[in-house]
Amino acid sequence: MVAGDFRLEGKKALVAGDSKYWSKYAGAALAEAGADVAFAARNAKRIEEAAGEVSRHGQKALTLKTDMTDAAQVQKMVDQVVAGFGRIDILVNANELLLAKPLLETSESEWHRMIDVNLNSAFHGCQAVGRQMIKQEKGRIINLISCLAERGVANFAAYCAAMGGVLQLTRALDIEWGRHGITVNAIGTGWMSETEKTGAPQEELLLKYIPLKRYGRPEEVGSLLVYLVSDTTDFLTGQLLYVDGAAMCHL
Amino acid sequence: MATGNGTLAGKVAIITGGGTGLGKMMALLMAKEGADIVVAARRIGAIEQTADEVREIGPRALAIPTDVTDPAQVNNLVERTLVEMGGLDILVNNAGIVRGQERRPLWEVTDEEWRIGIDTNLSGAFYCCRAAIKHFVDQGHGKIINIASGNGMRGNRGDFMYGTAKAGVINFTRVLATTFAQDNIQINCIAPGFVNVRELQPEPSTRGSFLTSDFIPVGRIGVPEDIGHLALFLASDASDYITGALFANDGGGLAGGVSPTGYAPVIAMEED
Ligand SMILES: NC(=O)c1ccc[n+]([C@@H]2O[C@H](COP(=O)([O-])OP(=O)(O)OC[C@H]3O[C@@H](n4cnc5c(N)ncnc54)[C@H](OP(=O)(O)O)[C@@H]3O)[C@@H](O)[C@H]2O)c1
Repeated sequence: MVAGDFRLEGKKALVAGDSKYWSKYAGAALAEAGADVAFAARNAKRIEEAAGEVSRHGQKALTLKTDMTDAAQVQKMVDQVVAGFGRIDILVNANELLLAKPLLETSESEWHRMIDVNLNSAFHGCQAVGRQMIKQEKGRIINLISCLAERGVANFAAYCAAMGGVLQLTRALDIEWGRHGITVNAIGTGWMSETEKTGAPQEELLLKYIPLKRYGRPEEVGSLLVYLVSDTTDFLTGQLLYVDGAAMCHL
Repeated sequence: MATGNGTLAGKVAIITGGGTGLGKMMALLMAKEGADIVVAARRIGAIEQTADEVREIGPRALAIPTDVTDPAQVNNLVERTLVEMGGLDILVNNAGIVRGQERRPLWEVTDEEWRIGIDTNLSGAFYCCRAAIKHFVDQGHGKIINIASGNGMRGNRGDFMYGTAKAGVINFTRVLATTFAQDNIQINCIAPGFVNVRELQPEPSTRGSFLTSDFIPVGRIGVPEDIGHLALFLASDASDYITGALFANDGGGLAGGVSPTGYAPVIAMEED
């Protein structure tokens, strides 16, 4: 349940980018709070599923099959969302492509792909939607990133570099667009999973290390997302806020 | 250790807690570069010993018994330094105690423990800075090096007053640096990682002994020189444009810290 002041009635959101599950969970949280939600990603099945969540909450949904790494497609998609919704109040950049590999074995093309999907897509989303938000003189941009934007983990160099890039994009745009009524924030997610166990390599070692001794559940990010895009956060911008079970704060 | 180059010749440095551990190493390294050293702590034997070793290296040395939690003793330390050494250029706030590190519930921590933890690790640095900085302003230069800890940057389970006080030291550094930036006083902070200081204790000690270095990215516990050389750098002209900075010197641990040591999975790129 969302507190009254955080309700998003009448707001139009765009959740952009391919990721394992963020479209679905971000979309559901926004819709539950009263927003209509458009989804843009390459994976048609995934955004249809996310749209289903939105309809279930009685909100309007749009799905636009889009490759976020292609600036022209992104601009076209944003034009369509504006045509359909009349405006865009909220942009959630939810691009996430994972790769964990020793740097010496990481190929040129893997590196570029990681930067393209994780960082360049956020740039495309911010630029195309930012243009619209500046016209509106109001907007909320949330970049869904990771604790690895600020911290290193072995074999995650490409991922860390890309996420660090999105973090700095966030901080720069906060300053650049602050006078246009646009807030730009990032949510840093910790070790997340939809299931208690994933079978990923070295899972036990990792889980023992997290202060809460469990993965975060993607739905646990929704409440922060809703708060940050609500009308109560005009003064809160340029920040990276964590949903990480205290992973970032312990020594 | 190579021989010194005289980069600190003619400078006077106060090093609190300089009788043992990291402070002692800083004293010796700065002395080797020509600095006159004032060693200040409570145990007279230990500070006299450091002073002797400084004199063996060459520069002048003074051991001034000081409890940094007592502002009067701290003021006396600075006054005596100015009179007997003829100046003061560098202040290292290194005195510190890890008190109450034994994990116990917060409700069992006494007022006295809390007070001593904060007084020694945070207020001590304030008293020393307050006593020295007017002199730095008047003479138009000065260097202050505060020794904090990784515990002041992240939460360490059960470490209440030490971690809290060290966090205070980190931001005290920033406030000082912004306040005195135009006075040509550089104020910086070092956050040492795990450093073995056993060899630099007057009596047998387990201070800074660790069973394993597995958890440190570079694969070893720090040695006092790791921190001593950084202090030397921050005390010298080489760092004249650096102020308000926090230097973690910890074998790489703080750059990580969201996954356990040895966590290095391999996961293929999967796109659909
Ligand atoms: N070694 C590490 O791994 C490590 C890691 C992070 C941070 N640090 C920090 O580095 C600094 C030096 O520590 P160390 O490892 O070298 O341990 P150490 O050998 O125990 O040094 C601490 C010094 O502080 C002095 N001191 C304590 N209370 C004092 C007081 N009230 N007034 C004056 N001096 C006082 C002690 O001398 P007396 O008892 O004679 O007064 C002692 O010489 C400390 O601030 C510590 O917190 C060390």
